[in-house]
Amino acid sequence: MRALDGRVAVVTGADEPLGRGLALALGDAGARLALVGDAGRLAPLTTELESRNGRAVAVEAVLDERAALERAFATAADELGGPVRIVVHAAVPAVAYERVAFEDVDDARWDAVWEGTMGAALAVLQASFTLLRAGGGRVVLVTPTVAMSGAAQLVPYAAAMEGQRLLAKSAARQWGPDGITVNCLAPAPEQVPIGVTSSEVSLAPPALGGPGDAETDLGPVVAFLASDDAHFLTGETLCADGGVWMAP
Amino acid sequence: MRGRRRVDGAVSVDGPLAGRTAIVTGAGQGVGRGIAAALAHRGARVVVAARRAETGEPAAQEIRDWGGEARCIVTDITRAEDVERCVAGTVEEYGGLEIMVHNAFQGGRPHRLEDVDATLWATNSRTAVWGSYYSARFAAPHLRRAGTRGRLLLITSPAGVEGSVNIPVYAPVKAAQRAIAKSLAREWGPHGITVNCVAPVAETPALVGAFATNPVLKERLEARTALGRVGDAERDVGAVAAFLASDDASYVTGQTVVCDGGSFLGL
Repeated sequence: MRALDGRVAVVTGADEPLGRGLALALGDAGARLALVGDAGRLAPLTTELESRNGRAVAVEAVLDERAALERAFATAADELGGPVRIVVHAAVPAVAYERVAFEDVDDARWDAVWEGTMGAALAVLQASFTLLRAGGGRVVLVTPTVAMSGAAQLVPYAAAMEGQRLLAKSAARQWGPDGITVNCLAPAPEQVPIGVTSSEVSLAPPALGGPGDAETDLGPVVAFLASDDAHFLTGETLCADGGVWMAP
Repeated sequence: MRGRRRVDGAVSVDGPLAGRTAIVTGAGQGVGRGIAAALAHRGARVVVAARRAETGEPAAQEIRDWGGEARCIVTDITRAEDVERCVAGTVEEYGGLEIMVHNAFQGGRPHRLEDVDATLWATNSRTAVWGSYYSARFAAPHLRRAGTRGRLLLITSPAGVEGSVNIPVYAPVKAAQRAIAKSLAREWGPHGITVNCVAPVAETPALVGAFATNPVLKERLEARTALGRVGDAERDVGAVAAFLASDDASYVTGQTVVCDGGSFLGL
């Protein structure tokens, strides 16, 4: 018996390496996966999951539209034969990763990165609430440590990641009585394509040698956060960055 | 004679901020008004950037009544052209801008996260986050000119660190300000500009309103506040903002100073 056997998990951002690794780990822990995103881009991953005797479907939905997400989550639940119990949100608009000097950030960029990321996070959380409130569940938002450290030339991205991290805390405080836990997984900056290295935020090298592998190092952590064993953790940020940030 | 700040409220021409110009957004009332007064008392020329002249003009007049220099520029912080005009007007009048303080905020009514709609989100996001972005963007060339006297201060909240059960979307927009401050601190460090946050709890119209609708909040807040009282906008919070604006804080950047009487101790 694996920790997530039979659970239905929704994962966003699995068409990128970090989200892909997390999805594979959730699948290996027994979860049946609904991958939100472009079916074509997700095809290699669904094939990989099925080759490991897992179950996965790709569902398309505009991430910042709550109603569309709720429909997509419901469809996924039907196809995978069970209620959604786990939501892992790793997607951000691609433009968010672009490193741009603050003086060159215009309204359109601020809107695309800040509002785009926060609009999606809010819609994913609200749709998760609709799906999870009847039976409780686990929501995990992926917020690289840049949220806490800040980064030059990444002002709107850092703002959005930290905004998302605190959105999770507020959600955790309000939805605890509904049996919903909301936590954040904070990987090293190298896990996302922003061109920031751990050495920019720490004097010491990563205690565990590097930023880790999305599937084999970060995957087990997200699987834990999604499991029953994590039932008493909420509003937390787990830094799985190989021992760099170490705060608080 | 004008010496250091006196009990009668005289303004200090040789104070730590003498010869510097500050813009304080949302300075018509509450924390912003307290910060504007504290900066003025220490010698700064202050532009009261308020959305409404009805509150902004009296705040500026009060400073002039002490013998300080202040004027009100009506500014809607959510509109780029307003902030641009405010900064331009300030520089035209006073010859430069050393200290930009973004304090204005609108939102804060209790709500459920699952009920948040685009309008409620936009109010919080526009004033806190877009206001920070516009403040930073239009002040930037002048702060760079000010070099090691250049200061950007963003007024955030303990809720931006611990989350909020009553006003959930207040937390992310206040948190975003901290990340903006940290990131800009890194980016502008080479110019000598510092960027910091103050996270206050002070007696303001907003807090008094929140206490009125939620008496339990007042009890809880007082019970966990080490100093046992709610802060004063000028004496308690303004003084900290003034320190961060001064040369004494030249080596402090990217930080959040929680100024709440020892209520939130999580940093």
